[in-house]
Amino acid sequence: MRKKILALLAGSALLASSACGLGSSGAGDGDDSITIGTLFTVSGAGAKLGDKMRKGAELAVEKVNSEGGINGKQIKWVFYDPAGDTSTAVQQTNRMLDSDGVELVVGGGGSSGIALAMDPITSGKGIAFIATEGARQIVEPAGEHRLTFKTTFNDTTMVEKLIEYWKANDVTKVAFMPDTSSFGQSAQEELERLAPEAGIEVFTAAFDPAANDLTPQVKRLASNDPQAYLAWTTQPSGVTFLNNVRSVLANKDVMVMHGFGFVDDRYMQQAGKAAEGTILVSPKLPVWDKIDDSDQQKATMEEFATSYAEKYGGEQPNVYAGQAYDAMMVAAEALRATGGDTDGEKVAQAIEGLGSHVGVTGVFKYTSDDHSGLTSDDVAVIKWDGSRFVPAE
Amino acid sequence: METGLFIQVLLSGLSVGAIYAIVALGFGVIFNATGAINFVQGEYVMVGGLSAAMLYEAWNVPIFFAILVAIAVTTLLGFLTEAGLLGFGRLRTPAAITIATIAIAVIVKGAAMLISARDTYALPSLLGPEALRILGASTSRQTVLNLVLSVLVVVALTVFFRRTKLGTTLRAAAGDSETLQTFGVSYRTTARWAFVIAAALGAVAGAGLAPLTVMSFDSGTLLGLKGFAAAMLGGLGNPQGALAGGLLLGVAEAVVSGYGTSAYADVVAFVVLLAILTFRPTGMFGTARAVRT
Repeated sequence: MRKKILALLAGSALLASSACGLGSSGAGDGDDSITIGTLFTVSGAGAKLGDKMRKGAELAVEKVNSEGGINGKQIKWVFYDPAGDTSTAVQQTNRMLDSDGVELVVGGGGSSGIALAMDPITSGKGIAFIATEGARQIVEPAGEHRLTFKTTFNDTTMVEKLIEYWKANDVTKVAFMPDTSSFGQSAQEELERLAPEAGIEVFTAAFDPAANDLTPQVKRLASNDPQAYLAWTTQPSGVTFLNNVRSVLANKDVMVMHGFGFVDDRYMQQAGKAAEGTILVSPKLPVWDKIDDSDQQKATMEEFATSYAEKYGGEQPNVYAGQAYDAMMVAAEALRATGGDTDGEKVAQAIEGLGSHVGVTGVFKYTSDDHSGLTSDDVAVIKWDGSRFVPAE
Repeated sequence: METGLFIQVLLSGLSVGAIYAIVALGFGVIFNATGAINFVQGEYVMVGGLSAAMLYEAWNVPIFFAILVAIAVTTLLGFLTEAGLLGFGRLRTPAAITIATIAIAVIVKGAAMLISARDTYALPSLLGPEALRILGASTSRQTVLNLVLSVLVVVALTVFFRRTKLGTTLRAAAGDSETLQTFGVSYRTTARWAFVIAAALGAVAGAGLAPLTVMSFDSGTLLGLKGFAAAMLGGLGNPQGALAGGLLLGVAEAVVSGYGTSAYADVVAFVVLLAILTFRPTGMFGTARAVRT
């Protein structure tokens, strides 16, 4: 029996390794094109988000190319699907850089863990890398990540906004449930560091993103009588969190919250009544039509939302699509500034020299110390009103 | 508050454990008939849960009808699995069948990914959305339904294997399929029934799980492994053992989530699997016969 199990394991390992992603082959950077490589997980765990990211990036590539490319050069786009697996992603990154002639990398697999693993490879080869994943460690400290940038909020920025919101609403005790991915763990580090300084007590219970029931954790946290329950995940188990919190706490009036990884209409709809009134920290995109016209992002967001829906049969973009679109646009703008030169150092300097780039996710202001470029001014606090996201008052 | 947490942990464990138990039963049925481990079992759960939820959510099919259709679809998939492995593939040895099921599982998962367009789908609780309160703890009403269902399935399977002709034939096939064939019972027939029953069980587990969480194309794999761990824990092929194994595994996970570092709850299943394989490969209630292949 034991031998059989071993044979099985070997068999499944073989299958897994042979199931590598799609992608285009053949090196080829002629003078008339710039090759940009992208990794997003569009199959396996996390495929749902990766698919949105791929669409966002694709839209940006088409826009740049149809508007004459980068100083006359078209973007040649190489895409791989690591299927959520870090070691596959590492192989694909090497293949992109060694044999596909990729000159700049946009998109880090759709998961922070993968982006963290890609960074040393791209940096080691002097290639600029613009990630679309959340964890702060991807670009921090900036001095050690000279060539790596990202178009997502730092957990620090989000946590600052959360603390600001809690203080305004007299919340002093918070139950925090991050998942065990690097996305959740990185937020936990930041929240446990910053909240006590602001006089907010945090009680934490992590959960496995594949869990089917979180009531034990919720019940344990409830003994501390917190005023707010905050989950930090991108996975469907966040729906279970909403159901479980409402169920365990009966009709108690508490603030139920999610991080920016969970801003998704489908998830909210699936939690049904349990989702009503859920408060989230998010980029402004989901409420773009509800914010003031004077907001400098409004036109960019509107154009993005409209052309996305047009291209993908009425499908609405989400924040993930926005991040990927922004990353590709930042890359294009930086390459225009270098005159099409893809040397990592030059691209990095160009990104730091962009001043402010008005994107879908926020107004990016990259500097040599800040490779995320966003501040808490770009964060919106939004609420699910039962049918759509609206700005929370 | 402390008793509240204890009851909560217990309820959470039983809720998820009932699902593991039904998955474990599916492993047992196929093991008994063919001697193989069917790694498509977890995917049957996914197909059952996902198709029921898709029918309900995307096509507005009434919930009971959606579940019935989902069970029918999954059962057909079980039939096709057998036809693919033993008919088209002409596989006969347990080891060959086991390994081939991994390939089928990958294909089923891939197809589900394309059909569902990677989206997640949910099903409401069959007994209404209100929570059930017991001694300061609360759980979905679906939990009760799942527990009742798992016990019913165990009773039904026990009766089936002990009291019906087909059931006895299936058990005999596990014992000595060559002798059975000399009596004119085809190996294919017994295997086909086993796969059909196991797939239907998987679909029931999926329909029971969907209201507790959200289904997507990748919901099945981990569940399959946990159901396998539960089956090993209770003794492969023993229906009562599968129930005990499933519930125990569920409660063990909940205890780790509620009292320990919940980050490691998912590891419990694999630690249990490792321990069982090392120290008691026949499972808690298994007899030596259960692993003689």
